[in-house]
Amino acid sequence: MVTDPVRSRGALIDRRTFLALAGAASLAPPSAAAEKDTLLFLGARLNKGGFEVVVVDERGRDRLVLPVEARGHSFAIDAPRRRAVAFGRSPGRYAVTFNVDGCGDPLAIAPPGNRHFFGHGVFTPDGRLMLSTENDFNGARGVIGIYDVQAGFERIGEFASGGVEPHEAVLSRDGRTLCIANGGILTHPDYERLKLNLDTMKPTLAYIDIATGEIVEQVSLAPELHQLSIRHLATDRTGTVWFGCQHQGQATERPPLVGRHRRGREPELFPGPSDALRAFDNYVGSMSVDASGDIVATSSPRGGLVAFWDCATGRFLGQQAIPDGCGVAPLGSGKVLATSGRGAVASMSPAAEVMLVEPDQSKPAWDNHLRVFV
Amino acid sequence: MRKFLLLLIPALLSCPAVAQEGPGAQISLAFARPAFDALVEAADHAETTIGSLCEAPSQPALDAARDAFGGLVTTWGRASVLRFGPLAANNRFERLFFWPDPRGTTLKQVQGLLVEENEAATTAASLADGSVARQGLPALEVVLFGAGAEELTATGGGFRCRLGHAIAATIEDVAQDVLAGWAPSQPFAQSFIAPDGSSAPYRSASEVKGEIIKALTTVFQFVHAAELRPALGEKPDKARGKRAPFWRSDLTFELVVAQLQGARDLLEQAGFTEALPKDHRWIADSILFELNTALGALRSIDIPPEHAFEDQNARGKINLADLAVEHAGQQVSEQLAGALGLSMGFNALDGD
Repeated sequence: MVTDPVRSRGALIDRRTFLALAGAASLAPPSAAAEKDTLLFLGARLNKGGFEVVVVDERGRDRLVLPVEARGHSFAIDAPRRRAVAFGRSPGRYAVTFNVDGCGDPLAIAPPGNRHFFGHGVFTPDGRLMLSTENDFNGARGVIGIYDVQAGFERIGEFASGGVEPHEAVLSRDGRTLCIANGGILTHPDYERLKLNLDTMKPTLAYIDIATGEIVEQVSLAPELHQLSIRHLATDRTGTVWFGCQHQGQATERPPLVGRHRRGREPELFPGPSDALRAFDNYVGSMSVDASGDIVATSSPRGGLVAFWDCATGRFLGQQAIPDGCGVAPLGSGKVLATSGRGAVASMSPAAEVMLVEPDQSKPAWDNHLRVFV
Repeated sequence: MRKFLLLLIPALLSCPAVAQEGPGAQISLAFARPAFDALVEAADHAETTIGSLCEAPSQPALDAARDAFGGLVTTWGRASVLRFGPLAANNRFERLFFWPDPRGTTLKQVQGLLVEENEAATTAASLADGSVARQGLPALEVVLFGAGAEELTATGGGFRCRLGHAIAATIEDVAQDVLAGWAPSQPFAQSFIAPDGSSAPYRSASEVKGEIIKALTTVFQFVHAAELRPALGEKPDKARGKRAPFWRSDLTFELVVAQLQGARDLLEQAGFTEALPKDHRWIADSILFELNTALGALRSIDIPPEHAFEDQNARGKINLADLAVEHAGQQVSEQLAGALGLSMGFNALDGD
């Protein structure tokens, strides 16, 4: 096994990471035309004790496997340039950018010593900047790191996220307003992932003009819901932001976990049927719209389910079971691809579930997020 | 308050027999209630002993109060494993043990109270309404072992002693509330002991098992990330024993040993070993092996925590214990849960 570290843009990256692409490239189909017909998905996995980020096709078959040094989380995607950034999970000390077709070397991106990644990020539409959610842990505040893609992902600045613990961020259709879920939970890497402020946490949803770094709108939930951490985001066909929450208060409390926010209005929460809400066990692990943008899917690995909601009305449309399921990504109109920590890959709609890869403890375990490469 | 608790016992004995499956009944009866009853007893003893110190300050009286504090910390270590249900409600865990405390909030707040000498702060009710940092075990440790604690042996230490007495009383009150929450008549306990389709918060034996799995991973993560690793630092020159809990009272390793013993007992009393298919019983054995490794290493440390984290020999033992605990946690989440047929994987147990 080759383990010599390679230094790249100030970060240490295992040489295996580089060699992996050469080996994985043989997994790709022979013609570029075939690739265009296949929807690609990105995910992070635990495989035989090692961590990897992968590109798979719409049947869950591996196309590219990239070993990484620690548990991965989510991705920033620049589809026009066939590029993605995989982030390490919080407290993330690594990110790596790579070509999804296995062309060229991956490049490691490290945060400054006094910041760490929270695991999510976006590219600007022109592909020039990459923005990532980060922790200024000594300042106990969230920031958005700004990386210059052309300059080899050099970090050229940051702006405040408008709260503590910016987790997921999505770019609005205007290409310049970043919507950030400030989860509100204070952590410090000296204490790994322990939550340090549950009694005083204050999550927010912040909209920031990335051209100026100014907060253009910020909303919170009712004060009695201050322990409802706003963490995951999806944008529907109309540009409305949907958010998924995790409740940090008492287990016997069952606040709604799924919400919608239209700019200039108060956030709305949708509890759904009481049995489904209970099954969520106060935890939304990931969310995604379908390909049409009219349906939003929310997963709960604790409940082992994916639930579907009508974006126009907030109506609960149904649920499908997938033990330890968390990753969801658009697969088609009314359908999402879902992945699980048990190795399962499934096609799901509110009415049906088709298992594409059967769960098996010996298979790679899918981590929290799945992203479609578009 | 103690009389109320004694009355609970006949209530327990007269509890009607119900169909019980799963580990809840055994853990409630043999682990949870004895652990929190012992915590109430230990807090009561600390309160009484500190009261005697306040009435007649002397070195022997201070020694007795400190001994009582030591008993309280180890009793807490065992009970703290059950960080769900009544202990998790109303910030009770944080009120008993505000930790980690990276900004030294407890020290600042207790020092502030000692400087102000505001008598209103020396009542349990006043403390209970204030910051969680000033009402638990770390706050009591600062009073009994922190800078200036020697004044407790003199008549001039009256305010400090009364503050300690009030903190001990607050700890007892919170412990009483937790114990009351485990009473068989309470909906939580009923649901834990005999879950059914309509009970809350648990509706099935699997959900109770899942709670126990989460409790185990939680305590292992806490010992690793909040108690041992921050004081160890990445390298010996980054070691800082004063970042460990209860370093002032030389109780760091006693606390961790009590927590790991508690986790081991919880694992055994849950009956998980017997519940595993025979070809998977190695998982439970492996977890127990890791815990015993950690316990042996920690018990063999014979220098105070303030210095142990930077001492080469002791540091090696702490590192071994820390790795063993971390590995035990991984085994629980990656192997045990699945082998027990629970749908909890690493997404459910350690998501983001």
